[in-house]
Amino acid sequence: MNMTKKRLIPRLLQMALVVVAVYFTFILVFDVLLGQLIPKSLLTMYMVFVIAGVVMVFTFTEQGAQELAGPIKALVEDPSRKMVRNVVFVIVPLLAGYYTYSSMLPSFEAPVELRTIHPAPPNKFKAYGKSFNLTTLENPYRKFEKEDPVKFKELVKEGGNVYIQNCQYCHGDRLDGKGPYASGLNPTPLNFQDVGTIAQLQESFLFWRISTGGPGLPAEAAPWISSMPVWQNFLTEDEIWKVILFLYDYTGRRPRSWANE
Amino acid sequence: MKNFFKTAFFSLLVISGFWGFSNFGIPQIKPAPPPVEEKLDLGAMTMDQFIALGGKIFNGKGTCTLCHNAMGRAPMLDKVGANAEERMKDARYKGEAKTVQEYIHESLVKPSAYVVAGFGKSGSNDTESPMPDVSGGGIGLNEAELAAVIAYLQDSSGSEVTVEIPQMDAAPAEGAAPVEEAALKTPEEVIVKYGCGMCHKVADQVGALGPDLTKVGKSKSKDYLRQAILDPEAVIAQGFTGGMMPPTFGEQMKAKELEMLVNYMAGLK
Amino acid sequence: MLTRNMKITFGALMLVILAMFMLPDFMPAVHASEAAAAEATSAAAPASAAASDAAAEPVANAITFPPAPKLTEADYPTIPGVNARVMVWLVAQLHLWFGAFVVAVPMFVFIIEVIGMVTRDERYDNMAYEFIKVSITAYSLTAILGGLLSFGLILFYPDLFKYLAMIFKESMFAYALLFFAESAVLYIYYYGWHWLQGGNKKWIHLTFGLLLNAVGLQLMFLANAWTTFMMSPAAVDAAGVFNGNTWEAIHNFLWNPINIHRVVANVAYGGSVVGAYAAFKFLSAQKKEERAHYDWVGYNANFIAISALLPLPFAGYYLTAEMYAYSQQMGITLMGGVFAWIFIIQAVLIGALFLSANYYLWCGMGRSDGAYRYNPRIKYIAAVLVLAFLVWFTPHTLVLTNSELKDLGGPYHQILGVFGIMPAKNTAVNFLLTFTFLSFVFYRRANKVATVSWAAAGNAAQIALFTVGLINIVILGVYYGYFTNTVYKVAASIPQVLTTLTIIITSLVIDAFMYKGAKDVAPLHWGRMPARSQYALFLLAVSFTWLMGLMGYVRSGIRQHWHVSNIFRDGSPDAFTPGLGYAASVVSVGTIIFMAMVIFVFWLSTISGKHVVAKGYWKEQA
Repeated sequence: MNMTKKRLIPRLLQMALVVVAVYFTFILVFDVLLGQLIPKSLLTMYMVFVIAGVVMVFTFTEQGAQELAGPIKALVEDPSRKMVRNVVFVIVPLLAGYYTYSSMLPSFEAPVELRTIHPAPPNKFKAYGKSFNLTTLENPYRKFEKEDPVKFKELVKEGGNVYIQNCQYCHGDRLDGKGPYASGLNPTPLNFQDVGTIAQLQESFLFWRISTGGPGLPAEAAPWISSMPVWQNFLTEDEIWKVILFLYDYTGRRPRSWANE
Repeated sequence: MKNFFKTAFFSLLVISGFWGFSNFGIPQIKPAPPPVEEKLDLGAMTMDQFIALGGKIFNGKGTCTLCHNAMGRAPMLDKVGANAEERMKDARYKGEAKTVQEYIHESLVKPSAYVVAGFGKSGSNDTESPMPDVSGGGIGLNEAELAAVIAYLQDSSGSEVTVEIPQMDAAPAEGAAPVEEAALKTPEEVIVKYGCGMCHKVADQVGALGPDLTKVGKSKSKDYLRQAILDPEAVIAQGFTGGMMPPTFGEQMKAKELEMLVNYMAGLK
Repeated sequence: MLTRNMKITFGALMLVILAMFMLPDFMPAVHASEAAAAEATSAAAPASAAASDAAAEPVANAITFPPAPKLTEADYPTIPGVNARVMVWLVAQLHLWFGAFVVAVPMFVFIIEVIGMVTRDERYDNMAYEFIKVSITAYSLTAILGGLLSFGLILFYPDLFKYLAMIFKESMFAYALLFFAESAVLYIYYYGWHWLQGGNKKWIHLTFGLLLNAVGLQLMFLANAWTTFMMSPAAVDAAGVFNGNTWEAIHNFLWNPINIHRVVANVAYGGSVVGAYAAFKFLSAQKKEERAHYDWVGYNANFIAISALLPLPFAGYYLTAEMYAYSQQMGITLMGGVFAWIFIIQAVLIGALFLSANYYLWCGMGRSDGAYRYNPRIKYIAAVLVLAFLVWFTPHTLVLTNSELKDLGGPYHQILGVFGIMPAKNTAVNFLLTFTFLSFVFYRRANKVATVSWAAAGNAAQIALFTVGLINIVILGVYYGYFTNTVYKVAASIPQVLTTLTIIITSLVIDAFMYKGAKDVAPLHWGRMPARSQYALFLLAVSFTWLMGLMGYVRSGIRQHWHVSNIFRDGSPDAFTPGLGYAASVVSVGTIIFMAMVIFVFWLSTISGKHVVAKGYWKEQA
């Protein structure tokens, strides 16, 4: 029991610093370094557990608990700290009041919606008046990549034209989801440069998604907002397949296929 | 006593913490009410509607898509028509079906008759299917619903639909004789119930197979309209072919409904 | 020493065999033989239907059973102002809590008594006696609540009760009779404790303890059969017509998985409630010796709770897997829709359990001055526990505000999405278990110095064991979880679990040899525990109670709108599945009632020891 030892930083402050440090580490790692922000609801719960863990570590010895409680006790009981006490006793209720006020204040934020992350594509879908089977559907032009590179290049170029005439307004001329209209959409248009998007998908999935658009998403994926048009009404089947070639070619990604796995 | 209150207070605090989290920390999902058994109106159905009904059952009440989906819990059914032919010849086939229709029916009510390799109950060496008999238990499809599902499966797998729409009295699986339905109250209901809008443009519906009825009262008398419903082939409107409109409305409609409909149409000017 | 051990083993074995014969005794003879026949044939032929049909024939010919009734709202009696379902729900849950406690306590009382007999340490005997004393009051409450439950069922769900009674009439009768046996054995065991002491008498007493457990477990197994029949009905056809084979109905698909899960959970739960009892007594203790005693009792109770808590997740996996095997529909219902978030709540509660149990262990290091050298390591354990817990807690579907959604560009989260699926959670749970065990190892070693010559090598071996094991768990989780098909994702949990068990068992064996004859660093002061550690024990008990209530809701809820799954439809206005928030409210009210009753029971045990001499009140006797 070494109570006389003076610490450089008081334990209470240490604890607060650890909690704050963890909090900002989360923010730093997710929001800044990884560029995928951490949802507020999740961060709140994370912090509850982190605080629980930190409090446990700081109080499991008698000495630690006393050092922690000491300043608080002194604040309440020590006559020489009257001024600080009064200030704290005014500020704390005010903070609580402010928190309650701000959390009860009506906001324009739409209510939080639950989304199904993986909207399973249908196995079959109807487009252009016929039925497509997603599991066996393949890009009819993909074979030219090996067989006839010159023709393939031509096809990609045609796909590029289709893209520039139709898609780039939202998905951007660099395929990064930052087209002129993108800022008006929520959720934002997909960024094809991202490894998590088209690189994870098969060409048949893209064909389904493009030809049937937002309205073609399955009911089980609701609530799902997508403002993508039903492209089968505007593009031909061939044009869609060519634009898919272009998407992969421009981004340098490979479509996912079961054959390689 | 002091400790009694202290511990009780602490317990209350913990419980309210858990309670608060369960109520406010997570999204509340409203449970769906128990499913209601649907009454089928088969008499007025076309084969397309019947197939659509099968699709609805397949995706809904039948709970088929829980397993028959892309996640590989059960075999996909997109080629069931073609597969059925081969499977009935397979040595492992234990059923008695002769046709595709019979095969599908059998696989719905006796799923173990043929188990696709790899999809059997674990440990049964593909002799026993994990699928329930869909005519009983929790799914409880009746014969009419089964027929609809078979029609849907045949249609969606690209093979010929051989199912016939069952007669009306097959629908209520059991219980007392079907209750005489009360006559409908408004002409719009009549139009919806008898599906006029499938072919005609009338009352907010936009069918295009038959004549436009939105201003039919201008040129046609009540007697003409009545006759056109009861005996559609009597006079064929210009530009349309005969044999399209069902001649059965005379048996299906109540007199009150028929008169209401005729009066309504006569008033469309 | 050796002969005594042999005697104990032999005696225990004999009694277990005796107990195994008991269940069929209470069944009508014809069913017992059928049971054997049905079991024998079902092993040979996968489709046991034919075998059981044949076996059931003699009965079926005599009586034909009616199908399950089709009920409407009018078939459910109501009492104005009483919500029938909530009423039955609460009473059933309270009955279950007390029942679990009452079934569990004799199990570890028996073990503690044996430990006392082997070590000849009287403290164990006293502790065992005290535990059984607490359970006596709880026993009468269990019976009262059980009576209330049957009344509730007869009153509010008469047709369901009638249907179940038709199928389970023999076992219900046996159940009632077994309660006589249970009471008799319990009272002899408790009131005869001080009478049956020493030599052969102690052996007789121990026999009663075993008998008590045998009867208690059989009671629970029977009640489990009725519950599991409602989930996975057997011996009935699709219309609910009973084929007359009682054993088949009892031995339904989920019976044994639930039995295993409940036995393990009950021990953990009983341990936690007894821990709360010790904590309560510790806090109220006036004298130093009393504090020391209840500190020691609390430590043992916590030890029991944790030991049973470690295998519990695996029992849970087994049960869930069997549910999937019984009906994929049931399994998917369990994991999605209304119940999608329940496993997040469960994660929070189990996290609370593990954290409070660990905290108690760490606080316990303060009992001796020798343990201070281990204190700096605690923060690393805490960090891993919290981290593992955060992974476990991360939901698959994130709750996002619209602005966050826009920032992420959609509901995909590249990093957190990885933690949302099962392999990550399995890995996290195994880390939780391993590090909780590590806490325990540290606690045991804290005040000791190994004297064996190979201590350094032993330590190195243990460090290697933990390191390799943990790496293995991570690799299994990452490889199977993210680089293979869905089919293998869940399969990874089995080798992970085996790794964890290997770590625990091997490490225990090494420890047992290494610390043989180890010397203490400083004296151990039982009773030198802060009050907050006792609240950790309370937290353990309360969390456990609440968790049991919640999981009871799910177990029952996955039947959805059926009384008996897919056979007997619930036609009452309450047939809907309640949402999570609603269920949480009911469970909370139940937990409050339960804790009030339990603390009342604890308080009773403190006043029973008080004697007030009222001077001048009584007439002086000549």
